[in-house]
Amino acid sequence: MPRYAMVIDQSRCIGCMACVVACKRENDVPPENYRTRVLEIVQGTYPTLTTEMRSELCNHCDNAPCVSICPTGASHHEEDGTVQIDRKKCVGCKACITSCPYNVRYINEEHGYADKCSFCQHRLREGKKPACVATCVGGSRIFGDLDDPESEVSKILRRVGHRVLKKEVGTGPNIYYINQYPKRA
Amino acid sequence: MELSITGTNAITYPVMHVWDWRVAIYLFLGGLSGGLMTMSAINYLRPGRKGPMQSVCCWQIPVMAPILLSIGLFFLWLDLERKLHGYLFYMTFKPLSPMSWGAWIVLVIYPLMILYALAALPDEVKARIKNGFVKNVADAVAPHLSKLAKLNVVFGVLLSIYTGILLSTFVARPLWNSAILPLLFLASGMSTGAAVMIIIAKNKEVKLFFTKLDIWLIFFELLVLALMFYGHYTADAAHRAAIMPFFNSSHDTFPYFLSIITIGILLPLAIVLKFLEVTGKHTEEVSGFGLFLMNTSAIFVLIGGAIIRFALVYAGQLSGYGYNMM
Ligand code: SF4
Ligand code: SF4
Repeated sequence: MPRYAMVIDQSRCIGCMACVVACKRENDVPPENYRTRVLEIVQGTYPTLTTEMRSELCNHCDNAPCVSICPTGASHHEEDGTVQIDRKKCVGCKACITSCPYNVRYINEEHGYADKCSFCQHRLREGKKPACVATCVGGSRIFGDLDDPESEVSKILRRVGHRVLKKEVGTGPNIYYINQYPKRA
Repeated sequence: MELSITGTNAITYPVMHVWDWRVAIYLFLGGLSGGLMTMSAINYLRPGRKGPMQSVCCWQIPVMAPILLSIGLFFLWLDLERKLHGYLFYMTFKPLSPMSWGAWIVLVIYPLMILYALAALPDEVKARIKNGFVKNVADAVAPHLSKLAKLNVVFGVLLSIYTGILLSTFVARPLWNSAILPLLFLASGMSTGAAVMIIIAKNKEVKLFFTKLDIWLIFFELLVLALMFYGHYTADAAHRAAIMPFFNSSHDTFPYFLSIITIGILLPLAIVLKFLEVTGKHTEEVSGFGLFLMNTSAIFVLIGGAIIRFALVYAGQLSGYGYNMM
C-alpha cells in the first residue's frame, strides 16, 4: 500500500493560483469554498521585506483530530494514509471543521456534507497525480509515495531540510514544505 | 515601518464555518438540565429535609429537566447541516469521539430523568394523569424514588460535565483545550440548576437551602474561571493568545471584553444578594423583599451561565495555532 504525501517547494511558487483553479474545476468546489489556497505572506521592516508563498491544503494527518471527533465514521483514514469523507455517512455536525487546526474543511452548502481536499482520490485510482500537482507551472507541488524509497518525495525528504505546518499541535501532517530554489534533489 | 501582511489574496482565505448560538444554547440547556437533575435529587436526599419524600416541593423540577434537555437537543439538531441524517449518530459508536458519546449518553439519561420525574410526582398531581400506562409506571417507580434520586445526582453531574468535555478535547482550539473547562461547565451547570430551584420552590426552607448552596457553587465557578484564565495565561503562546479577546476592548473583541465584565459583576453581585438574604432575619414566610433578592440573584446566575457558554463557544473558534492566532 502506498502512503501518499506532498512536498511543496515554496521557492518555486510564483503565486499564479493555477492550482486553486484546477482544484475547483476538478472537484466541482462551490464558488465560495476552496480546498487549497496560496497565501502571500509579506513581512519585515521596509525596505527589507520578504514574501512567502505558502500553498495550504488538507494535511492528511496521521493523527487526525477530524477523524477521531467524527461521530459517524464519515471522516476516516484510508489504507493509503489519506483522510477521506464518506458523504453518505456525514450528518453535517461540523465537529471536524472545528477540530481541524489548519482550517481546511468546509460545508458544501448545497448538500450539507463536510468536504475538503481528497488528494484527488479519483485521479489517484487512475494512476494520475492530483490536479493541483499536474497543473503547477513552477513545479512547486510534488506528490508521491513515502513508502517507496525511490519516489521523488522520499528522495527529497531524505536529502533536504523540511518543515510541516503547526507541528506543535501534534497531528502528524503529511504536507512537507521545502525552500530549495534552484536545486532540490 | 513594521509590515506584516498575511494572506493578501483574501479571496481564498478561509472563513471557518462556525458553530453558532444554537450550539451555545444546547450547551447551556444541557448543563442546566444536568444541574436540575442533581439539585432536585439533592433536595430529596439531603439530611434535615422535613416531611415525606413526595410531598416536599418542586416536583416540577424533575419534569423540567428532560424538557429543557430536549429543547437543547432540538437546537443542536437545528445546527446540523443535514437534519434528516441525524439518525446516523446512532448507526455507530465511536469510542474516541466525544460527539458520539454525547449522542449515546442521552439515551441513558432520558429514562433516568423520566422515571425519576414520575416517581417524584405527589399524589394529587398523579390523580390528574389521564393516561393509565403513565399512571401505572408512576405508581410502580414511586417506592424507588430515593434510588432514582441517587442515580440522578450522579448522572446530572455527568451530563453537566460532558458539555465541557466535548469542547475540551479540541486540540485545534486552545481556548477550549484545557482539562479545567469541564469543571467550569460543571460548576456553572450546578449553579444554574440551584438558581432554578430557588425560583420554582415555594417552600421557604428549600429556597434558603439552595441560596446557601449556590453561594458556594458561585464561588467555585468564579475560582475555576479565574484558574482557567490563569492557566491559559501561563501556557504556550496559542493558549495565551486565546484568552486575549477577553481583555481587549477594541472593536473586534468588544463582545468578549463585555462578557467577562458582565460575568465579573453579575456573579459576585449574586453572591452578595444571597449573603444578605441568608444572614437576614427570617420569619415563617418569605418577605416580598426577600423573594425579590433571591429571584434577582438567581436570574443573575442564569444570565451569567448563559454568557459563559456563548462567550466560550464563539471565542474558542477564534483561537488556534500559528498564523490564525488572534
Ligand atoms: S489537515 Fe485538518 S482536515 Fe486534513 S487530516 Fe488534518 S485535521 Fe483533518
Ligand atoms: S460534519 Fe460530517 S464528517 Fe464532519 S464530523 Fe460531522 S459527521 Fe463527521
